[in-house]
Amino acid sequence: MNKLIQNEMMKLVAKKRLLVIALIIGVLVILFTYAQYKQVQTQREKLGTSDWRTILQQQIVDTTNRLSSSRISDEWKKQLQISLQQQQYYLDHDINPAEPGAPTFMRIFLENSIDLFIPLMVMVIASDLVSSEHSLGTVKLLLTRPVKRWKVLLSKYITLCLAVSLIIAIAGFLSYAISGVVFGYKGWGAPILTGFNVTDEGLNTSQVKLLSLWKFLLMDFGLVWFVAIVVGTLSFMLSVLIRSTAAGMGVMLAALISGAILNNMISSWESAKYFFMVNLRLTDYMKGTAPPIEGMTLAFSMLVLLVWWLAALCVSFIVFTKKDVY
Amino acid sequence: MSKNVIRFITILAVFFCLLWAAGLGWAVKEYYAGKPDQAPQRTKVVTKTENQKGLTIVALGDSLTRGTGDETGKGYVGDLVDEIKQKTKRPVQLTNLGINGQRSDQLKKQVQQMEVQRQLEKADVILLTIGGNDLFRGGQGLIDFQSGDIAAIEKKYLNNLKFIFQQIRKHNDHANVFFIGLYNPFSEMDQGKEMSKVIRHWNYDSAEVSAAFPKIVFVPTFDLFELKVNDYLYSDKFHPNTKGYRLIAERVASLLTW
Repeated sequence: MNKLIQNEMMKLVAKKRLLVIALIIGVLVILFTYAQYKQVQTQREKLGTSDWRTILQQQIVDTTNRLSSSRISDEWKKQLQISLQQQQYYLDHDINPAEPGAPTFMRIFLENSIDLFIPLMVMVIASDLVSSEHSLGTVKLLLTRPVKRWKVLLSKYITLCLAVSLIIAIAGFLSYAISGVVFGYKGWGAPILTGFNVTDEGLNTSQVKLLSLWKFLLMDFGLVWFVAIVVGTLSFMLSVLIRSTAAGMGVMLAALISGAILNNMISSWESAKYFFMVNLRLTDYMKGTAPPIEGMTLAFSMLVLLVWWLAALCVSFIVFTKKDVY
Repeated sequence: MSKNVIRFITILAVFFCLLWAAGLGWAVKEYYAGKPDQAPQRTKVVTKTENQKGLTIVALGDSLTRGTGDETGKGYVGDLVDEIKQKTKRPVQLTNLGINGQRSDQLKKQVQQMEVQRQLEKADVILLTIGGNDLFRGGQGLIDFQSGDIAAIEKKYLNNLKFIFQQIRKHNDHANVFFIGLYNPFSEMDQGKEMSKVIRHWNYDSAEVSAAFPKIVFVPTFDLFELKVNDYLYSDKFHPNTKGYRLIAERVASLLTW
């Protein structure tokens, strides 16, 4: 088994996929860092101050004014109200919701990339793990070895999990290292609030806890990793089922993008919450923003993802061990 | 590719795999852990006086402060700031806390917020518009302005206004406060004359309350809109338009001293 994993790792490294992914992440982080920097600059010019309290107070007033407009939808209104209450809570407790620094940039980057960007990067590796063996014809060489088929597949799956862990580590490292040049490398100990509960009446703040940013980040990383593993397993299944890598990627891509779109418009279609792709934004629960559909919680989303994960894994193994290879 | 490199990458990957798994477990545990050990405390902010050289303007109040109806979106506050910027070389910092539809009881709550008080402390000039929504109540005031209700509403409003001024003076005793009075947007309508009477009375009482406090200046706008009111009103026939805001801004600008 060890040998098999070693072999798979070697293939992975030889394909230089990880390097490509690192490059993509690097370029994007540079873009986002610049965008963020610009945003801070214009805000400072507009308000004539860099005091975050003044800026936050101004944001609260602006949101209040948007709420009073009659042209916004009820769902959007509710989300605005929740973020308004949260901002007020931060202000009342004198905690900066976005302490400047590389760790905060990293947090925002993770929160925004959890449902599309990181899964895409994972797909780059996962979707051709098995199907490329077909297209290159090497699958016969692999299966004629005196090793059980499920062991071959398991070694591939373990390699995938390791690669996913590496991708997330790379994303974390690059976002920290690059954004730190502009925003500074300090800020690991900055306080952040978690435990906001979104209820029917609005935001429940009785469970709110104060955390250091590094702790919060580790949790965020854990959630991102979980999502990445689930998405990776799903594309892994497609890679087993569909011989063409491009087709498998296309299917997965469609699912992910539809998730991003659905998130904005499904609040009235309740059964949509059993799709895996609307449950990807796990970090939002930590942050305390309103879920896309009422009644979704962290446990619910994780359970849905776990069911999808288990199903995908079972299908992959059953199909791979039974399939005729010619 | 040497075997050692592969081994190193594998070990690194296993390490991160375990680390992220631990993070995931911790996240779930934290999220569902019952009571927080330490609830965040409300802290009193130590005020740092920044922007020493600059002029800090804080605008409080309703949609007039917000600039509703102005196509440029600036409102009289924005026009005024532009004017100040032209006249002085000092940097101007504006905090506009105006909220559409705000009534005096809501403003009373707003000025009790800690951060708003901190903003007030820093201010060199405070601009205020309030009362329009108390009196007109989105058109409701048009129907029952003759009844005795007005007296009760006005009494409540004057008490709130007094409280607001007390709060402002408590936190800031040096800033000039400009309190913008009401105009009559309905003067060309059927009962415009009666309405004007109510508003004049309202403005008079507001000015009386302002006069009881030092450095609070009541700025009348009633006369500005008295002739050709529709030239200065936005299409909702209630809020001023760009020209109307310009008039108010000019009037306040003529009162500024520094």
